[in-house]
Amino acid sequence: MIKYLYTLLVGVLVLDSSAFAAAASNDDLEKELAYLAAERQVVITASKMEEHVDKTIATTTVITQNDIQQIGVRNLMDLLKLVPGIGVTQTQFGIREIEVRGVKTLFSEKVQIMLNGHPLDHNLQNAGSTWVYDDLPVDTIKRVEVVRGPGSALYGANAFLAVINIITQNAKDLNGVQTSAGWGSFDTQQYRASWGKQFDNTAEAAVHFNFTDTNGINSPISADSSSIQGLKSNAPGKSQLTEGRYDLEWQLGYQDFKLDGRYINKRTGTFFGIASILSDARTQQDYNDYFLRLSRTWKIKDNFTVDTQIFHDFYSADNIWLIAPTQFFRTGFQDTRTGGEIQANYHLSDAQTLISGFSYTKEQQGNLIDQVGPDPTHLTSTLPTTEERIRKRWGVYIEDVWDPVKNVRMTVGARYDRYSDFGGTFNPRMGFNWEFIKNYSLKFSYGTAYRAPAFGELGLVNNPVLFGNPMLKPEEVKTFETGIIGHPVKGLSTQVTYYHSAINQIISPVSFQSTALHYDNNGSVVAEGVELESRYDFDGNLQGSYISANHVLQRSIQLGRQLADVPRQRTNLTANWAFDNTWSSFVHVLIKGSTLRPLGDTRSDVPGYALLDVGLLGKNMFGKKVDISFNVYNLFDKRYYDPAPASLNFIGDYQMAGRAFFGHVSLKF
Amino acid sequence: MKIINFCKLLILLVMFWVSAAFAQSSKVLIVNSDNTVFRYGTIATEFKKVLQQNAYQWSEFNLNSYANADAELKQLILQENPELIYCIGTKAYSLARNYAANKKLLFSAAINWRRLDIGEGTYGVANELSSAQEISLLRYFFPTIKKIGLLYSDKFSREYVETIKKDALAIGINIINQPINDAQEIGDALNELLPKIDMFWIISDPVVLSSKVSVQQIFQSAQQQKKPVYAYSDVFIEHGAVLAISADLATIGRQSASLALMMDKDKVPEGTVQSPAGSIVTLNKCALDALRLNFNQDALDSVNKIVECDK
Repeated sequence: MIKYLYTLLVGVLVLDSSAFAAAASNDDLEKELAYLAAERQVVITASKMEEHVDKTIATTTVITQNDIQQIGVRNLMDLLKLVPGIGVTQTQFGIREIEVRGVKTLFSEKVQIMLNGHPLDHNLQNAGSTWVYDDLPVDTIKRVEVVRGPGSALYGANAFLAVINIITQNAKDLNGVQTSAGWGSFDTQQYRASWGKQFDNTAEAAVHFNFTDTNGINSPISADSSSIQGLKSNAPGKSQLTEGRYDLEWQLGYQDFKLDGRYINKRTGTFFGIASILSDARTQQDYNDYFLRLSRTWKIKDNFTVDTQIFHDFYSADNIWLIAPTQFFRTGFQDTRTGGEIQANYHLSDAQTLISGFSYTKEQQGNLIDQVGPDPTHLTSTLPTTEERIRKRWGVYIEDVWDPVKNVRMTVGARYDRYSDFGGTFNPRMGFNWEFIKNYSLKFSYGTAYRAPAFGELGLVNNPVLFGNPMLKPEEVKTFETGIIGHPVKGLSTQVTYYHSAINQIISPVSFQSTALHYDNNGSVVAEGVELESRYDFDGNLQGSYISANHVLQRSIQLGRQLADVPRQRTNLTANWAFDNTWSSFVHVLIKGSTLRPLGDTRSDVPGYALLDVGLLGKNMFGKKVDISFNVYNLFDKRYYDPAPASLNFIGDYQMAGRAFFGHVSLKF
Repeated sequence: MKIINFCKLLILLVMFWVSAAFAQSSKVLIVNSDNTVFRYGTIATEFKKVLQQNAYQWSEFNLNSYANADAELKQLILQENPELIYCIGTKAYSLARNYAANKKLLFSAAINWRRLDIGEGTYGVANELSSAQEISLLRYFFPTIKKIGLLYSDKFSREYVETIKKDALAIGINIINQPINDAQEIGDALNELLPKIDMFWIISDPVVLSSKVSVQQIFQSAQQQKKPVYAYSDVFIEHGAVLAISADLATIGRQSASLALMMDKDKVPEGTVQSPAGSIVTLNKCALDALRLNFNQDALDSVNKIVECDK
């Protein structure tokens, strides 16, 4: 019977076999290999972003679009204030300065801000990116990655204290039209419109438009150098930080090519002015900034890709300043940066990746404007205050990221940059991340970075009190840091980091020819500190709610003394409460310690303060198409101050905004 | 527009918004690693058929459709608040698990489920058949086989290979395994391994099976050294495997759906991860004859498909 059944079975199967053979063709193998490839993309230990961040040797904070919505930030600086180790304060020009790990400078030139990986330090005269990016609207941002510590081994110049990479929404993220509008205190208006689409022929396009207009915080200014002499003056008066800006960003893709960029026009007043007298509405700053980048990724083999790009950056300033009661000064220039980069990415194995690259850049400054006169509409040319200048530079870099065993990641890299004006600089970086117990990682890193002298520091001329110095060398920093990241229980992330940075060859004005100053590499700073951060995400019915805290203890010593205008401690406490799937509320407390004055400044210390911000957010309403938020900043109307420099000691300090409101509506189609 | 028409429009809009706000959330959220991948797609289709038959509501999220899938998925889970999340593929599971909180979680089509972080309330249907069952069948088909070799990557298949070794030892078969980290190591690894073994076993390891070239390399080497190849899927039969015992994809989809229905009613059977219930045994008689292997003829009763030589 069995033999009969067997014969019958074999007969049936053999008859069927030819049809089967045709079906089990190469197509089937391809389908199976496609499945295995999809599974291969996911290595469990590196698939989650939280773990990915844990595995890096750098101290990294990631702020997502969700976070941005919940905490009700209005611009980039609002967002950075929440990051451990970062503080934001007002300057007399109107831009805000970024303090990182106890070190800050007027133009924030030691922080590299990037947009979708492209550096934004287009202002070659005064360096830094805050001139047009400090108040960047956040509605189109998908994610911000803040890496504290030196980054020159990968990114080159000016990745000195931190790298801030802003990643915006692309066509896939948008998939339609998104618009938003916000209104708030100080006659502030923000509007945004975005459109994105992916086409069948692999083409894709995303376009963002942002518009912002505000009257500024109208901070009271009690006096200026004229008013205290009894001369005619705008003081007592108010800051004139009015601003209108619009920008257009584009990301176009076809096959492996991508063309992206962003244009920004910003017109603003000033907070106080550049001289010792209070400016009025006739002081106007006008900036134009754009970059255009064409890139392509070449897939040579499955494990070997090459990224190529060429780019052109443009920055222009055309500013009219009130410098004396009846004297105006117009200054302007145009900067361009043109170059290319090629980067090879070689995945030696699933445990090891090698990156190496070469970049070449030409930087140029020209079209100088220098005019003076009593009438801002009829100024006459005067001697230029800076020089037309060309700088060429190239760099080579290599980095190896290797997991010798499952729970250890080692990173070793270095970059050499060669400049046509000051020579070469070599910056290594190395470190490891060791998950010594499950959910607990120890990280250690050492790296150096440099800040290239700005054109204004090299070529400042015809200035009665300050001169440039063409012999300047780059500023250097050596940093080591170590820390532990732990996840003691589900939902809880904690991190403690100790850092020690030695900054040398600081570029600063020093005495020159007895009566004047010039820039020179002079002095050093040692900054060290401990950063503590933790966040707990609730589970179950409270999913979407979280509490987080970060606290920084820092010490920055120059000539045996704590640096002025930098607090020894700063704390952020935040809580987000999700009532249901739609509504959530947010509370944020910022506690900042008092700050010392510079040597010779007899004013008492700038007092510390605590500020409370609250917000309410409704998401995905009316068929998931509408989000609404309402935020109150400085709820208790606390009067607080950012430090004014010693040269303006007669005004006291900068009084910052009292209670302020902002409402926001966004629509998706 | 007349005022009456305007009022009608307003009422319609209000009804639309109210109905959207009060719309019942889906009971089951299907998270698919990539719906363009045949295996994932087939399993999803069969899963949905069973849900439909049982009048269940579901919504679907394909990770490949979103650039920022992580954040989108998190938002969707918060918004939909599904009672059960069905994850197809490892990527879907590893992401969904982050945001599932205490929701019921079910997975399938994940290679080597033993490496996944599986918490309480999580169930699954394995991608691989029970290794004990496979080895028993191998012994049944080829009684004289004593040593079976396999290549694997530590990253994807370590736990699975350990299970295979243990199960094989229990019935007197020695598994000789050779780990590789990269497909480029396959040639050397085969040269070392093949002389030591009676049969080569292809497991579903994404590093070993990274391309057609790797597949060809395996079969060419095995043919040169006259070693039979056993495979986990019948797609390898045409390339020269003598025997394949494949998990039936449609059955995995249906089995997952049955498990989901039981999870919904809190009537889940013992064992958090089930082996695939349906299997297809395919014999390549052509390769078998060419190798003149000692084959148990009685075992043909267990064969579903036989492939003869092309004439």
